[in-house]
Amino acid sequence: MSDILTIAEAGRRIAARKLSPVELAKSHLDRIARLDPALNAFLLVTAERALADARAAEARQMSGALRGPLDGIPIAHKDIYCTAGIRTTAHSRLLENNVPARDAHTVKKWADAGTVMLGKLATHEFAFGGPSFDVPWPPARNPWNRDHFTAGSSSGTGAAVAAGMILGGTGSDTGGSIRGPAALCGIAGIKPTYGLSSRAGILPLAFTLDHAGPMAWTAEDCALLLQGMAGHDPEDPASVDRPVANFTADIGKGARGLRIGVVRHFFETDHPVSPATKTGIDQAMDFFRKEGAEVRDVKLSPAMDWHAPGYLIMITEAFALHAPWLRERFADYGELFRDRAALAAIASGPDIMAAMRRRRVLCQEMAAAMLDLDILVSASQPGEAPRIDQTPKWTSMDKPSFTMPCNVTGFPAISICTGYGEGGLPVSMQLIGKPFTEPMLFRAAHAYETAMPWRAKRPKL
Amino acid sequence: MSVPPIDEAELKRILARAGLELTPEQVRSILPGAAIVQRLIERVNAPLPREAEPAVTFRVDKQ
Repeated sequence: MSDILTIAEAGRRIAARKLSPVELAKSHLDRIARLDPALNAFLLVTAERALADARAAEARQMSGALRGPLDGIPIAHKDIYCTAGIRTTAHSRLLENNVPARDAHTVKKWADAGTVMLGKLATHEFAFGGPSFDVPWPPARNPWNRDHFTAGSSSGTGAAVAAGMILGGTGSDTGGSIRGPAALCGIAGIKPTYGLSSRAGILPLAFTLDHAGPMAWTAEDCALLLQGMAGHDPEDPASVDRPVANFTADIGKGARGLRIGVVRHFFETDHPVSPATKTGIDQAMDFFRKEGAEVRDVKLSPAMDWHAPGYLIMITEAFALHAPWLRERFADYGELFRDRAALAAIASGPDIMAAMRRRRVLCQEMAAAMLDLDILVSASQPGEAPRIDQTPKWTSMDKPSFTMPCNVTGFPAISICTGYGEGGLPVSMQLIGKPFTEPMLFRAAHAYETAMPWRAKRPKL
Repeated sequence: MSVPPIDEAELKRILARAGLELTPEQVRSILPGAAIVQRLIERVNAPLPREAEPAVTFRVDKQ
C-alpha cells in the first residue's frame, strides 16, 4: 500500500486530531522538492502560502473549528486559475508576468474550505497547445514513466496527483482536458455538468465548451473536491442557479440497479483502443453485472460526428478570444497553440452555424439515448500514454476524441483507472451521466474502484 | 462530395483575411492541419433537419 493518503482518509485523520495539517503540508513540500525537478508538474511552488494555510488549518483543528473535509488538505491549481497576488501564466510567454488581483471563484471557494495551496501547476499553453517545448516552462512528465506524455491540458494536475505531490487539484476541460490527463496518469477526474462549477476567473479557451472540475486519486476524493467547487456564481454567465447536490451521499450504495449503456462502437470501430483498454472496460462491465447492474450496448452517431462540431467550435472560440494577440504576437505563442488556433480561419460563418445546429441535435440524441439509462460507458483515451516525443501535432484533431461528446453536450463524465497496460502505464474508462447526476457517477465509480486493486498501486518514484 | 485541398497560397490568403500576416514558414507549418479542418467542416455540413436550431432560451420566472 502507498503512504500517500487519500483526501477522505487525510480529512478523517485531521478531524480526529491524528494528523497535523502543518506536518502534512511539510511532507508534501518535501515530496515536491524531491520529485518535481524530474516531473515539471509545478510552474510555481508557494511554500510560504502553504505553510500559512496549514498553520491556520491546524489552529482550527485544535480549537474544534474545522471547516469540513477539505480543511488542511494539500492542493494546487492549474495555472489558468487566477490566484490573487500569485503569478498566473497559462504556461505561456504572453502571460509570463501576469499577476491577477483576484482569485478565481473556485480558488476562493477551496481556500474558504480550508485547503492548503501548494502552488500553480503546468498546463498546455492556454489549456490547448501541448506538449510544447518552445514555451517558457517545460511540459509535465508522466510519473509512471517520465519519457511518456501526461495528456492535457491539465497536465501538471495529472502528474502532481499521480506522484502524490498533492492530494487533489483543479483542472479545466474543453475537449477532455481533465479526463485525458486523469486517464493517462491513472487517477480520477470529473468534468461536471456544464454550469455546475463557475469558470469566473479561469482563463478561457472556448466559452461554450469550458468546464471547471477536480482531479484526485479516487472518485470519492473528486466528490469531496467538487463539493468545495460547485455552486451558483452570478459572475459566470453559464452558472446554473440550483441547489448543489450532496456528491458523497450515494457513495457506498454499490451498483445494484444501475442501468448502464456501453457505447462500444466508439472504442471498437470508430477509434479502436488498445487491448488493455478494451479488456479494462469489459472487465468493469462484468463487475457491474455481478453487482446487479443492467448492462447493454447502445449505439450513438459515430464518434467523429461529435468530434467535428466540438473541435470546430473550440478552435473558433479560441481564435475569437486570442485574435488580437494572434495578430500582433503570433510568434510569442508556442507552435502547437498558434498553428491549431489559426486553422479556425478556414471555417466560414455558415460552417460554424452548421456546427452549432449539429450540436443541438447531438444534445438531443444523447438525452434520448439515456432516457432509460443512468450511465453511458466509453473509453477515456485510446490506450497507455505514448512517449512524450511521439505525440504528433495533428493527432488530436484527426482522430475522434472519446471525451469531446460531453463537452459538446455538457453532460457530466468521470475518468477512472481500469488497470495497467503492457507498458506498465495506466488505462482507463469514462462514465457519463445525465446532467446534474454527479452523485450517481461517484457512486458507480467508487463501487468499481473499491472492488479493484488499481488504487493500491502508485508510480515507483 | 470532397472539397479540393487548400494549397499554401490559398491558406496564406485565408489567414491574411483573418488578420494573420504570416511568413511562408509559418504558413507551411499550419498547412497539414488545413486538410483535417476541411474534413471536419465537410462533416458538420452534412444535411440537418430543419428544426435543428441552436435556440436561445430564457427563464421568465425570475428577474
